[in-house]
Amino acid sequence: MQKKKEIMLLNRPLFSKGSIDVTFLLIVLALLISGLVMLFSAGYSYAYYKYDNSTYFIVRQGIFAVIGVVGMLAVSKINYNHFRHLAIIVTAVSVALLLLVLVLPEWKPGFKRWINLGFVTFQPSEIAKFGLVLFYAWGCEKWQKQIANNRKNIREDWKYPVLFGLVGIGFAGLVLLENHVSGFILMFVIAVAMLYLGGFNKLWFIGGLAIAAVAIVFVVFNPDFLKEYAGERITAWLDKDYDPTGARWQTNHSLYAIGSGGFLGQGLGASKQKFLYVSEPQNDFIFAIVCEELGFVGATAVLVLFALLVWRGFVIAMNCRSKFGALLSMGIVFQVGLQTVLNILVVTDTLPNTGISLPFFSYGGTSLVMLLLEMGIVLSISRASDVKRQ
Amino acid sequence: MSSKPSKLMLKRAALILALVVIIGFGTGVVRLAKLQLVDGNEYREKAELEMLGDSSVQALRGTIYDCNNRVLAKSASAWRVFIDPRSLYNSIEKEGKTEAEFEAAVEAKRQLVASGLANILEVDGETLLEKARKTGSGDETVKGEIELELKNKVSKFVSENKLYDCVGIQPDTKRYYPNNSLASTIIGFTGADGKGIAGLEIKYDSVLTGVPGRVISAKSGSMSAMPIEYTANYESQQGTSLVLTIDSTIQELLEKELEKAREGAQANAAYGLVMDVETGGILAMSNQLDYNLNEPYTVCNEEALAEIEAIEDEEEQRQALINARYAQWRNRTISDTYEPGSVFKVITLAAALEEGVVNENTSYSCSGGIQVADNYIKCHKRDGHGSQNLQKGLMNSCNPFFITIGQKLGVEKFCEYFEAFGFTQKTGIDLTGEAAPKAGVTYHEQKNMGISQLSSASFGQTFQVSPIQMITAIAAIANGGKLIQPYVVAKQLDEKGNIIKETQPIVKRQVVSESTAKRVLTMMEAVVSAGTGKNAYVAGFHVAGKTGTSQKIGAGNGQYVSSFACVAPADDPKVAILITIDEPVGQINGGQIAAPVAATLVEEVMAYLSVEPEYTEEEQNLIDVAAPALVGRTVADAKEIAADENMNVKVVGNGENVIKQIPGYGQTMPRNGVVILYTDDREEEMTTVPDFTGMSLSMARKSANYLGINLNISGNAFSGSDILAYSQDIAKDTSVKYGTVVTVYFKAYSGVSDSVYG
Repeated sequence: MQKKKEIMLLNRPLFSKGSIDVTFLLIVLALLISGLVMLFSAGYSYAYYKYDNSTYFIVRQGIFAVIGVVGMLAVSKINYNHFRHLAIIVTAVSVALLLLVLVLPEWKPGFKRWINLGFVTFQPSEIAKFGLVLFYAWGCEKWQKQIANNRKNIREDWKYPVLFGLVGIGFAGLVLLENHVSGFILMFVIAVAMLYLGGFNKLWFIGGLAIAAVAIVFVVFNPDFLKEYAGERITAWLDKDYDPTGARWQTNHSLYAIGSGGFLGQGLGASKQKFLYVSEPQNDFIFAIVCEELGFVGATAVLVLFALLVWRGFVIAMNCRSKFGALLSMGIVFQVGLQTVLNILVVTDTLPNTGISLPFFSYGGTSLVMLLLEMGIVLSISRASDVKRQ
Repeated sequence: MSSKPSKLMLKRAALILALVVIIGFGTGVVRLAKLQLVDGNEYREKAELEMLGDSSVQALRGTIYDCNNRVLAKSASAWRVFIDPRSLYNSIEKEGKTEAEFEAAVEAKRQLVASGLANILEVDGETLLEKARKTGSGDETVKGEIELELKNKVSKFVSENKLYDCVGIQPDTKRYYPNNSLASTIIGFTGADGKGIAGLEIKYDSVLTGVPGRVISAKSGSMSAMPIEYTANYESQQGTSLVLTIDSTIQELLEKELEKAREGAQANAAYGLVMDVETGGILAMSNQLDYNLNEPYTVCNEEALAEIEAIEDEEEQRQALINARYAQWRNRTISDTYEPGSVFKVITLAAALEEGVVNENTSYSCSGGIQVADNYIKCHKRDGHGSQNLQKGLMNSCNPFFITIGQKLGVEKFCEYFEAFGFTQKTGIDLTGEAAPKAGVTYHEQKNMGISQLSSASFGQTFQVSPIQMITAIAAIANGGKLIQPYVVAKQLDEKGNIIKETQPIVKRQVVSESTAKRVLTMMEAVVSAGTGKNAYVAGFHVAGKTGTSQKIGAGNGQYVSSFACVAPADDPKVAILITIDEPVGQINGGQIAAPVAATLVEEVMAYLSVEPEYTEEEQNLIDVAAPALVGRTVADAKEIAADENMNVKVVGNGENVIKQIPGYGQTMPRNGVVILYTDDREEEMTTVPDFTGMSLSMARKSANYLGINLNISGNAFSGSDILAYSQDIAKDTSVKYGTVVTVYFKAYSGVSDSVYG
């Protein structure tokens, strides 16, 4: 057997030779397929109402899913070590986009979250979330010595934690300027988790979390402090009888849908609440329709799939040979897990209604492609991981 | 450069993983379990309620028929028009518009919808615009109960302006009352929501309502049409129909006569009842004025309305309007109470006869009053009735006589019969709002009843009863002593007309023996033939009756209630009639103003019920006959036939054959009247109707003869003195053809009062 010549980039093989983690791939595909099925079921009535075409959502999402899967497999081939070089670029692009979206005309009145490219729209915050994870994974590896020093003595190399913290605050702050409270929360929590995994001194977190807790309590009891729409959502969360035809309409009908599901559900496709009761059932509240159609059993199964994804991502990370790979893998699955948890807590009225979508399920082509590419990165890390030998 | 994850990272990763999975996902699963397994049914019910409630289709309400299946109330399909402000708001594209432009576009569309619909449906445009601005709402009713023609106009407006999202049309039902005011207080009406508000419509609301149909469909979510195959229809089930004991013909007669009486007496109100004495079924029941069921909120009494409109204070005016409405919806025959006065003597008499404390030979000499305890109670005839037997005492309505009868009966027995005749309880008629008798308030409690109370109660004063109670007691005397439960709904029919429930007459108890009842009836007959009730005399029929006049206490103090109760035919009782006139002006005695009303009614009702009259010889000569057929005959033949019938003829023209006659063939005309025969086709000769009122019988005859009018005599024209005409069916100064029959009503003006007042 003659050994094939490897393609090299910056003195490293461009492609990874190891095999991917099939478990992770299967979990991803299972989530993707159930997501598409549920999107069709939940969205066709609204699609018909809005676009006169029941398959409007599913066809578009399907196309993006195919593009995403191809992209995911392609990315998984790449030797993940090269992503280190992208860290600075992606971070810079993220910041640029976050600034750009603030000056572009509003796509939806009052909201500056989207950039419209004509054929697709996307949220810079989606890219920024990945940018932040990538930046932290890279930085925490690169300056691990200084971080370790500071861990042993908080006075030593204190500039590093401060700078790292400022990057996170900067990202989160830019998202908040978009009037995007949920994006801000996600960004903030991701930053905290990444820095914690990155090995920073515990004291920073204790201090930081104390400040955050005070802020949360303050906002919950003074909803007027926030911009009107966000404040009203907190009021609507605290007062279950508040404006049932307005602010609480979506949440109430989400609860009706979930409750109607019972143990075994109404059966796939048999949701009634998707018929214009739950507003935009293909979007943030798609999980309510999952609950109505598949019941407690089905909904729990979906949650278990998500939990497995997070678990497997962590397992891959722990068996990775580099800190960068480990942090990157954990950061990506943590982001997915966090978003899922927040979405489910919103849909079940456990948290105020913030616009957080459910990964793999909610309608949105660019974010699905983005998500699948990130899954590709985790798969690429898995090729270089020792996970398969266990 | 590569560095394996440190132990520290491992520890921290485990903590993060545990946080996400256990706290995050764990909370999610626990919340789902709570929502789906514990509270699931609650949410499911709420969801179903909303979906079904939003799209329920009103069931057609049951029909109400009279006893001859004539429709009194009926529902028909109609439509409800509503706007969907939320969809209207959402239908405007936001893209490419500034906030101000967007708001302006929304407002423009609201204006279009509001002004368009306001025009078509004749509703206030400003109010509609306010509704259109309620962006949170998905359903604001513009107008319900609209008919096909209007619905089509709305549809056209919607499609011309492409407003499918914003304006909806839903099936609805509308209640029609084809006879407008007929039997209004019995039937009642429904509100905008289709629920009964008054009368039978509220009493039988649940029966009439039916089961609403349901449409579960996708459109419910946004309330706007969504053409998708997701509908499940549950047909609505029509409500149960009612067949009443009310006979529209008799009801019409009663209403007509009551209204005439009310106007004639310038009374506050006139109310009356006609009851089938065997079953307790109400044949007619009315209080005038009747309001129009199709416009129940319009005050029908024009004088009252004018008074209300004259009120300056807005709040006071509003309150007066509300009061006037409630007053006209009130069924006074069951809700009001009054002092029955002398009509009640019949009850005292029945009790005393049953107990054997008096008999036909009992006599009493009236000196014009009687001392009771510390009071001297006067008789209405100041100089006294002199010596009279029992029947004469009733005929004269002699108060002192009945005081002695009451005293003979005693408190205990009086109360026993008072209760037995049903005066201490509601009659249980199937209508809402029956007045509830209250011991110590509407009538004397036995323990508080002394000789004074007993004495006045014996002739019907110092206590109150409702008209329905009074007529039920009278019916008991008419039907051989049985107290029956009155009712108005005879049958309930399902959608296909099958009888699902039929009311069986309920005999509550035997109050007095059949023979006692018969004896009372005989004496009551004498009241009509020669006593205070003689104005209720009807040729050809035996009528048994009793007059009453009482002074009001409390509201309307110093005013009077005059009434007359009767049974016809007295020898085979079929109906009981009670006529009550509230606060008459001028003549106030029941025998003067209520008895003639009863007479007219008896005459008409008996004819309608095809009860064969039996005339005395005297009456024979005066009753009407049908005009013979003379047209087409030769003049000579015609004269011969008329002579056989004891009629006179007057020939007009020189022809040989009769080509026209007045009165026409079969028309009723007085015996010995004149038939005008035309032998050529000249114009009929005309004459003018005189004012007969106030004329004696002979004067009226002379006058009619002179003017070529056929006089038809009605009412009491023969018994007693001082008989004068009081009304006529064709108004004075009307130009009529020669030979026309004019009915003139007579009544006696003396010997008919039973009160000290008139």
